[in-house]
Amino acid sequence: MTNPTDRLSGLFFVLFGMILFFYLIPTQVETVEYGAIRPKTMPQILAVIIGIFGAMLMIKPADGSDLQKMPWIKSTLIVGILAAGLWLISHFGFEIIVAPLALILMLVMGERRPLWIGIGVIGMPALIWFAVTLLLQRPLP
Amino acid sequence: MPELSIVLAGLADAFTLTNLFFVAMGVILGQFVGAVPGIGPVMAMAIAIPFTFGLDTLVAVGFLMGVNKGGLVGGAIPAILMNTPGTPDAAATALDGYPLAKRGKPLKATKMALFSSVTGDTFSDIVLITVSAPLAVLALRMGPVEVLALIILAFCVIAGLVGNSLSKGIIAAALGMLAATVGTDPQHATPRFYFGFFEIYDGLPLASVAIGMLAIAEILRRMADNAGLMKAGIEIAPDGDPADQRVTWAEYWACRYTLLRGTLIGTALGALPGIGSTAAAFMSYAGARQASQDPDSFGKGNLHGIAASESANSAVMGANLIPLLTLGIPGSVGAALIISAFMIHGIQPGPLLFEKQGQLIYGLFGAMIIANVLNLIVGQIGMRFWIKVVSAPESIIFPTALLLCFVGVSLASGGIFGIAIMLIFAVLGYVMNAFGFSVVIFIIAFFLGPRLEESLSQTLALLNGDVTALMHYPIAFVLIVLAGVTLFMINRKSRREARGKLPS
Repeated sequence: MTNPTDRLSGLFFVLFGMILFFYLIPTQVETVEYGAIRPKTMPQILAVIIGIFGAMLMIKPADGSDLQKMPWIKSTLIVGILAAGLWLISHFGFEIIVAPLALILMLVMGERRPLWIGIGVIGMPALIWFAVTLLLQRPLP
Repeated sequence: MPELSIVLAGLADAFTLTNLFFVAMGVILGQFVGAVPGIGPVMAMAIAIPFTFGLDTLVAVGFLMGVNKGGLVGGAIPAILMNTPGTPDAAATALDGYPLAKRGKPLKATKMALFSSVTGDTFSDIVLITVSAPLAVLALRMGPVEVLALIILAFCVIAGLVGNSLSKGIIAAALGMLAATVGTDPQHATPRFYFGFFEIYDGLPLASVAIGMLAIAEILRRMADNAGLMKAGIEIAPDGDPADQRVTWAEYWACRYTLLRGTLIGTALGALPGIGSTAAAFMSYAGARQASQDPDSFGKGNLHGIAASESANSAVMGANLIPLLTLGIPGSVGAALIISAFMIHGIQPGPLLFEKQGQLIYGLFGAMIIANVLNLIVGQIGMRFWIKVVSAPESIIFPTALLLCFVGVSLASGGIFGIAIMLIFAVLGYVMNAFGFSVVIFIIAFFLGPRLEESLSQTLALLNGDVTALMHYPIAFVLIVLAGVTLFMINRKSRREARGKLPS
């Protein structure tokens, strides 16, 4: 049975290998003309390997990927929340952002019970603050 | 040979109440922080060192030993209970630990991890105590050529974990090694793929990459999968079989060869500076799977899988001290921290350490054995506590675990940038899982990549392009032959399996 997902991912890696070899390595690796292994040697070898085995994956796809089973929309939403939370932490500090971030994550997961929300939003951040700031004497992000 | 009076005096020092108390505190702290993704025993030791300034040398080093050994056991807990390994070496434990926990046997899985960890650790401690000097001499003969051969052997053994698609396994490994090339190149120290971000000049932080791909990606999947159902983080049937909550002697004894193989691999790799416990854990796991009569049961909750991984990664710990105590060379970051603790207390590790500080060293050996026993006792209680914690609703477990990963990675990698990298690799790990590419292979390649490149460049310089010069390096030659034999056996086994699956 053919696997279109593997054929597509194989095609992606062929293209990625080519972009890596012809664009990224020349622009992002400094040229050095001496030494047993130059800075670009290993990336070039890896680009070739990725390209060749990407092509092999296109020709002979494997069976088994969980692409259809993955909850992509909700995962993207959670990643978005985490990225926004990180941006806010970098501007306002972990202590201020952690409680609303925990609340949003719990609500996204469907939690509506006040006691558990209280524990998650107040109790756990307080415990993290106590353990890191007071006990370990390290700064929070 | 040391005088018996010095050995006994050292051991007597180890068994004082103060020392016992601090070693116990170290073990408890280590097991706690080891269970928190991102922090881990090394970070805990780094934080704890300033608190040991006012302590006696033996008490201070015993405490740090306790933290390190406790951390090894603690690291397996989130891997088994939540499939979110806090450290790369615990990822191998998650392969069979989590499926077993999911089948309603979390205590059996965690206890097997505990027993295997203590077995591996105790074995490597015994090796350290008895034959550290000759092993250190052998370890010193491991130059770049031998290290390269060893890494090639490690890759060949781990190739057994590639799964049903060789192409996908090789692509995952190549991507891992490509990620490892970010930063300065090992030979010329010129920058590669840093895209103007000076924060990654030293390479991508291992904590960010490993926790992002192993822990956050899994948490993301399970958070998104939960569909509003408020179920516990881990389900334990209240009327379950009591045998499911313990490891019987028969089960432990059945794993004896797996444990022995794991401890030998861990001890051998631990004695060499820089190879580390991740490679040991996966080599041992792959070896156990290849040696098994029922390799298909691996990844589905096989006790041998847990035993292989935990015995090997814990055996690295004791063996790491072999080059440290005999030659003054730290074999890992943890061992480097122990060196710094020695030096803070005015003691210079090296060849004269046994001669000048014999009593202290045998006291340290005593403290290590005490830490192993305490690890077993504290672990038995601690495992139940963690299982209770993880039995809370997923809606509180996963957001808390995410926030802990944020804090842990921030502490380990120096701030917000490390967390951002963690998120990027979490997405990559998620996508790789979805498309059926092995995240574990990626991590191993990421970990071994820089060592491979460095030893390859040194080897090429040493051999001057002449492959026949390899004959002058007998250890490397034997390792290369072993690598070839391993590949041949894996290939033969997979062909047999493929033939077995063909319809008659």
